[in-house]
Amino acid sequence: MKPNSLDYEQQIKQLNKENRILTKKLQRSQERQIQLEETNQKKESLSKRVILDLEESRDVLEQRTIELSEALAKLKTTQEQLIESEKMAALGNLVAGVAHEINTPVGNSVTAASTLAEETTSFTTSVTAGQLKRSTLNNYLDLATEASEIILSNLQRAGELIQSFKQVAVDRTSLERRTFALKSYLAEILVTLEPQLKKTPHQVTVTGDDTIHISSYPGAFAQIVTNLIANSIAHAYPTNKPGSIQLDIQQQPQQIVIQYQDDGCGIESQYLNNIFEPFFTTNRDHGGSGLGMHIVYNLVTQKLKGTIKVTSQVNLGTIFTITLPFSDS
Amino acid sequence: MFKVVVGHSNDPDSTEAVAEILEQCFESLAGETPQAGILFAAYDFDHSLILRQIKQQFPNLELVGGTSSAEISSRLGFQQDSLTLMLFCSDEIDITAGIGYQASQNPRAAVKQAIAQAKNKSSQEMSLCLSFVDGLHLNGSKIVEAIEQELNGKIPVFGGITADDMKFEQTHQFYHQEVHTDAVTMLIFSGKLLFAAGVGNGWHSLSKPKKVTKAEDNMLYEIDGKPALEFYQYYLNDSSPSLKYPLAVFEDNSDRFYLRVPNAHDAQMNSVQFFADIPQGATVQIMETNAQDILNSSETSIANALKNYPGTEPAAAIFFSCATRSSILGTKAAEEYQAISSHLNSACPSIGFYTFGEIAPLQKDGAICLHHETAISLILGTK
Repeated sequence: MKPNSLDYEQQIKQLNKENRILTKKLQRSQERQIQLEETNQKKESLSKRVILDLEESRDVLEQRTIELSEALAKLKTTQEQLIESEKMAALGNLVAGVAHEINTPVGNSVTAASTLAEETTSFTTSVTAGQLKRSTLNNYLDLATEASEIILSNLQRAGELIQSFKQVAVDRTSLERRTFALKSYLAEILVTLEPQLKKTPHQVTVTGDDTIHISSYPGAFAQIVTNLIANSIAHAYPTNKPGSIQLDIQQQPQQIVIQYQDDGCGIESQYLNNIFEPFFTTNRDHGGSGLGMHIVYNLVTQKLKGTIKVTSQVNLGTIFTITLPFSDS
Repeated sequence: MFKVVVGHSNDPDSTEAVAEILEQCFESLAGETPQAGILFAAYDFDHSLILRQIKQQFPNLELVGGTSSAEISSRLGFQQDSLTLMLFCSDEIDITAGIGYQASQNPRAAVKQAIAQAKNKSSQEMSLCLSFVDGLHLNGSKIVEAIEQELNGKIPVFGGITADDMKFEQTHQFYHQEVHTDAVTMLIFSGKLLFAAGVGNGWHSLSKPKKVTKAEDNMLYEIDGKPALEFYQYYLNDSSPSLKYPLAVFEDNSDRFYLRVPNAHDAQMNSVQFFADIPQGATVQIMETNAQDILNSSETSIANALKNYPGTEPAAAIFFSCATRSSILGTKAAEEYQAISSHLNSACPSIGFYTFGEIAPLQKDGAICLHHETAISLILGTK
């Protein structure tokens, strides 16, 4: 069927309308284009200004970078000097500490030896003059015995202190490197500590990954574990309650983490920062030298190239976390 | 009975466009006679011709409206260069129109005149007022202030500042078959009308809040005792203030704010000029936004209106959104109405226009306020 003229009229009307709409849209779009071009021109000149500003800023930045590099180099030198003087200061402290510690037993020995020497002189005079009485002989023998005991015990104490001092200095030559199974080695160390542990009610256990093998210095591990356990025994359980001490080892992608944990009385936060310092002890009256944890710190950081952190909660216990690189070679 | 119909044509030819909207309305009215209407038209049309045609068709129609930057309706969605008409029929609600002239000379008198004219035609109690006003002869905040003073919070007022095609040259207000500038038009609904509104803007703070220490009308001179232009340039990396960075204005320690849009600045005076007044002593903050937040806030406005509507079946929805929002949205401008309409029943007729300022209370039952860069959704009905 042919469309009638009305349909055509309708279509033409519709097309005319669409034509008007499109013309209007075109007109609007042209206006927009002109606006856009103007905006772009503005932006272009703005961009040029921005580029100039940027170039200026870059020059300033370059100059600042040079200055900063120089400042940084100076800072590094200063830092190295500081570290060096810090080391010297630490060594100075160490020597002073050792001198102070050794001074007491040596002083005691000197006093005892002097008394003995004086008494011996007077005793010799009596013998030479043929005036030696039985009572004088007995007195002299008592004094000589006492003096010898004092001298012996004090020199032994001095010897122990010197031994500790040697450990602080981390005598590298006495420690050899080899590959060993870490967990079983730690268990072996505990066996050697059995005589001391037997005297306490505490239990020490080793947990963690059996398969970890490490190329390192077993002697260092022995000293670290011995000192940590000695530290717990000496300080963590003042009431002598039975303690539980745990050593746990875990392997992570690039490192080994050894966690040493006791459930003792904990360390007050004011002391935590000083715990690794040489001669720092809260127990000097009872024979603490303040060197054990410093030895641990030096072994971990210098010999084993690792880190050690301590966290503690009073009445709950203390955790030492030792992180070691898987291989420091 | 409360019936609302809508016509919308994007035909740029005035004769054809008005014929098309009248035809659409006739069809939807199905024999009912409309009592009142709102017309929004792009600036380029022959407005006198259009109004004459409408008057001829509906001699007793209480018609108001104005020119707009873009138009929206449930028929064609978002359109530029178009003509849209909403007609109201009711035997229970009185809908009456009024106009006040030369608003820039005496805004209070013009407002009084418009209200009186509309009010006198009804014996029922006023419930809602729509107002379309000029904002280029006198800045819109002065007119809105006059409306607030005149009505004294008795009835809520919604509406907008009439617009042109972002040229800010001239805008028109419509009243019956008259085309005016510098006028205030009112459409007052009297009787038991149900309605609710929602306001959304989607702007977020860019600067710290600061106090306006020197301002006069729409000129801002000092913020926290320092030059206003410096304050802007500090946050805009030395760029000039633009409509993309309006100020949020908090008055009387309120946490509610309205926006003010900068339209010029003076590098010598270090001052910034705004489209409307900045009150001295208010707290201000530079704001920023993006297209998605603008769209989300429009949805928020309609969602809040629907949530607060006291009835169950709104008969119509009316939107006022700022022309600057469509300009920020750019090619996404049509999505604002899509976002709003997705919340509405498809049978609900709607109309709206892109303004040079939106009129609505700052908060429910509060004083009315002139907003900028904001979307306002209003829904109304009798059920």
